[in-house]
Amino acid sequence: MSDLSNLRANLRVIFSAAEMALRSNLTDGFVFFGIVIQPTIIALLAFWMLRDQGNDAIIYVVIGSGMTGLWTMALFISGQAISGERWTGTLEMLVATPTPLYIVVIGKTLANVLQSLVAMVATYALAGLVFGVLPRILRPGMFTLSLFFAVISYISFGLIISPLFVLNPQVRRLQNGLEFPVYILGGFFFPIALLPGWTTPLSYILPPYWAARALHGASSGGAVSDILFAIGMMILFILIYGMITARLFQRILYKARVEATLVRQ
Amino acid sequence: MNVIEVSNLRRVYNANVGAIRRSHKEIVAVDGISFHIEGGELFGLLGPNGAGKTTTVKMLTTMLIPTDGSIRILGLDVVRDAKKLRSRIGFIYGGERGLYWRLSGIDNLRYFGSLYHLDPQATRKRIPELLEMVGLSERGEEKVEGYSRGMKQRLHVARALLHDPEVLFLDEPTLGLDPVGARDLRTIIRNLQAENKTILLTTHYMLEADALCQRIAVINKGKIVAEGSPAELKSIVSDLSVIEVEVFGSVDDFLPTLRAQSFVDALSIENREQKQVLLIQSPAGAEAVSPLLGLLAGVRVGKVIVREPTLEDAYIRLVEEDV
Ligand SMILES: Nc1ncnc2c1ncn2[C@@H]1O[C@H](COP(=O)(O)OP(=O)(O)OP(=O)(O)O)[C@@H](O)[C@H]1O
Ligand SMILES: [Mg+2]
Repeated sequence: MSDLSNLRANLRVIFSAAEMALRSNLTDGFVFFGIVIQPTIIALLAFWMLRDQGNDAIIYVVIGSGMTGLWTMALFISGQAISGERWTGTLEMLVATPTPLYIVVIGKTLANVLQSLVAMVATYALAGLVFGVLPRILRPGMFTLSLFFAVISYISFGLIISPLFVLNPQVRRLQNGLEFPVYILGGFFFPIALLPGWTTPLSYILPPYWAARALHGASSGGAVSDILFAIGMMILFILIYGMITARLFQRILYKARVEATLVRQ
Repeated sequence: MNVIEVSNLRRVYNANVGAIRRSHKEIVAVDGISFHIEGGELFGLLGPNGAGKTTTVKMLTTMLIPTDGSIRILGLDVVRDAKKLRSRIGFIYGGERGLYWRLSGIDNLRYFGSLYHLDPQATRKRIPELLEMVGLSERGEEKVEGYSRGMKQRLHVARALLHDPEVLFLDEPTLGLDPVGARDLRTIIRNLQAENKTILLTTHYMLEADALCQRIAVINKGKIVAEGSPAELKSIVSDLSVIEVEVFGSVDDFLPTLRAQSFVDALSIENREQKQVLLIQSPAGAEAVSPLLGLLAGVRVGKVIVREPTLEDAYIRLVEEDV
């Protein structure tokens, strides 16, 4: 019973952290550039280059670049979340509450990912209208389901890196280093069958790979069983990575209390 | 019943010194202190800068792991039961940080309400009451970045009370408040005590400590050097009088001679605008005045006052003796 009410309370925190993040973003010009201006430019360029291609090619590129955007956002925000709180002195305040810190980071990341998702859909629709090519998604129902889990799996994967920031802000290098390999290994832009064989197991343990497989499959009308399999794998990895993250947060926050690094000196 | 029990508490920091050749230096911030606070008691922790007050408060509020020793609050261990404890204690660390400046005061409180797992309906009712209590009713809708230092401090007070904690830790709560704001906060603290909350307070204002605290511990260089009620601490210097001598210009050359006199027990200097005030604790009282002035030959002297010792004098005595 207390677990259940805790769960409800924590869900509420996810929503209020998300609301907070959105409110803060509204007043930040840089974020506005990141979620509206930049994707619009990219979408216009992409459609201009693809204007003579068939639907299959266009949809592959659109979804690939969409995933890139979401993944960058998930990685950036969940990494940024903790160092930002530490900078403002609010990290201690958060740690002092009964809410686990990762819940707050989930809320903030979720808000930013959803926000860029909405912006992306809008900019692609706009660019499509401009060039008169509106790519079609062949299995809309499956696509929606895949997208739902894709968002969660990006967040669960981005979140695993986030606690390292409490200990050492230098982790940013690692974060930047993770952006590009995941595009490739995740099969965002081309099938991983084109990569050397030894990388395949690496792809299989990346939730973004299964997200890409489900989304590409659903958009191009792939087999339903394959899409469902990819969704299943996403759920599996969300659970595994979620468990690791919770443990990691616990360990690292303990260490921060030993080393007095919860607050910037 | 003891609500807080601290025994042999120690905290060591590992500080990095030197930018190029990094080496570690151990700083013993808290060095084996023990004390207890009873339920409903208002306990003061006094001590000079760097004495270890904030470090102690951070360990009590679960933000730092003690290097050694133990703390039990409400029967819970601060390390093992940190999670359970957190929803039952509240704290203020003093200063402006620790708030979301881009959000309004009300939004800050609403957010912390959800973080403390409070019922949203109840929070909505409680926020205006708290804002009223800390005198921010009219500014609650404004963004925190536009608040003055003291207003941010007041918002922290509201934040600390949001979840109605049983035990409160106030680290220099009146720091940066104007005299009226400080007085209002003292009234709030008294009211909280009337609600039977257990409170630990640190402050550099002796009058504040004297007026509020039932018991006080004086901490210096990580060690408790005295503990007792304000009256008990004052009795350390009760056989003495304090002579205040206003002087103009430097008196540094005279200090060694003055300190060597049998009728001078402790001596400190306060700077007040262009003049300095020598505070001399002496068992001789008024009789010490004329020999004292004799020793200050050639110095321009202003007002001379002989008075009863205060808590501040006891504090100065304790901290100076320890040097
Ligand atoms: N994070 C830290 N790393 C290294 N040393 C620290 C750290 N925090 C505090 N110290 C040192 O520990 C000692 C005690 O500091 P603390 O902040 O507890 O003192 P305080 O009694 O609160 O002083 P003040 O009255 O100035 O607030 C000081 O020598 C301080 O320099
Ligand atoms: Mg302090």
